[in-house]
Amino acid sequence: MRPNAVESLRAAQAALADVIAPELASAFALDSAQTVQMLLESLASEWDTAAETLSRDNDTLRSLLSAAGHALRGASAGNESLGSVVSEIEQRLGDGGQTSLVISDLASRNSSLRATLESVLVVLEDVTGRAGCEKIDEVRSKIYEHLGEVATRGWSFWDVSSFRGRIAALQSSGAGR
Amino acid sequence: MLERRIREYLSVKIHDDSVAVSNLQRIPGGASRETWSFDAEWRENGKKVSRGFILRRDPDASLLETERDLEFRVMDAVAAHGVPVPKMYWLESDGTFLDRPFFVMERIDGCETSPTKVLMDPRFYPVRAKLAERFVDILACIHSLDWQASGLAFLGSPAGEAACALTEIERWEAILDRDALEPQPVLRAALRWMRRHLPPPAQRIVLVHADYRTGNFLCDSDGDIKGVLDWEMVHLGDPMEDVAWACIRPWRWLGDENIGGLMEREQFYKLYEDASGFAVVPEAIRFWELLGNVKLAAIFLTGARSFCEGRTRSPMMAFLGRNIARLELEIMDLMGV
Repeated sequence: MRPNAVESLRAAQAALADVIAPELASAFALDSAQTVQMLLESLASEWDTAAETLSRDNDTLRSLLSAAGHALRGASAGNESLGSVVSEIEQRLGDGGQTSLVISDLASRNSSLRATLESVLVVLEDVTGRAGCEKIDEVRSKIYEHLGEVATRGWSFWDVSSFRGRIAALQSSGAGR
Repeated sequence: MLERRIREYLSVKIHDDSVAVSNLQRIPGGASRETWSFDAEWRENGKKVSRGFILRRDPDASLLETERDLEFRVMDAVAAHGVPVPKMYWLESDGTFLDRPFFVMERIDGCETSPTKVLMDPRFYPVRAKLAERFVDILACIHSLDWQASGLAFLGSPAGEAACALTEIERWEAILDRDALEPQPVLRAALRWMRRHLPPPAQRIVLVHADYRTGNFLCDSDGDIKGVLDWEMVHLGDPMEDVAWACIRPWRWLGDENIGGLMEREQFYKLYEDASGFAVVPEAIRFWELLGNVKLAAIFLTGARSFCEGRTRSPMMAFLGRNIARLELEIMDLMGV
């Protein structure tokens, strides 16, 4: 057994905190070291499940686009922008599913699907709430539910302060021992 | 190397070959420009003079692409109106002296700017209420400035009170068009949503700081704000834009609902209304908070592009560029979806 990627990232974080940071004299260097800590933390938190997460997201996106296509098709008669989005969905879903599990391939596929989702969502924002658009509203809700789930996984910018506070507290308690 | 070049520069500006520069150090923060602190000593009328300075130099790449002469001119103008800002000394719009444009301003010693310090250091606990009041009073003071009389019409006014919101939507949509490297369904949908839910017209077109928040002022442990910083995004517009920007979740810092980590929302609104005479309209605040979150995401995406295109190796640009997800969560919450 050898150290895996996450364990190796943790080793880099530990060296940064325990060995390198205490030797740094300038506030700017310390600040940069803390930022690198946060960057490594965010990488470590997503590394192990990155391929599985992307693969699952891509399946969900395909399913959402398919549902959006069905809902919009009924409403697109005579509406050029809706018709154009329906065509975009059909083209994207016709590209075929993923086969490679290489993360950059999965991410590229994810990006293509999200590009179409972007077009869909912009159109949905224009028609939502109108009479007869109940199916469209239902798909819109499901899309936001998925986007909310994806967003929940991310690190927040406002964690930065509490992260720095924790690091500072750890450093001062270490110094006091 | 930089120290020597700064010394040469000051010799030209101060007309004294004996000028000495020391304690040069780069300081954190101000991600849109490099910020350097240094001390200088020289002789004036036979007497020794020593002063601390801050030098802000354009970086190779930035979170924001802004004009430093605009910031310089505005800080000069607001100082005359009683807004606490560091005194501005010199502006260089080209790279003759230090390779890139820069300006030099007064260093205000004995103050903190870091939200971690201002909100978590026990020295500041007893003065938090005073700090909150000063924070609001200064914002009201900025909004009361007669920008035409102060020579700030060059900033360009929106076409009318009703045009403020659309002007800002278009500004940030253009930045997203320019800098986003990946599809951004949430941000695009939010921009569409905002166009359909424009706020009431501005009560008056005012000078908008556009980055007024905890972390962008220098304060001392008596709870006095000695300098408002980071005027890069200043423009003319709706005062509610500043009020809402101060409210957005990233600037609450401590993970609770307190505005800027300083006070409850109701208190912030009341203090601001009393100090400014403007009514805080919740409908407008919701719109401007949403725009604020989209704007912050767009700023991070600008940094991400700079990083991906190799114009910067800053870990902060990489970190921020990878982490707009929770802003999206906030945006969807504000949209009510």
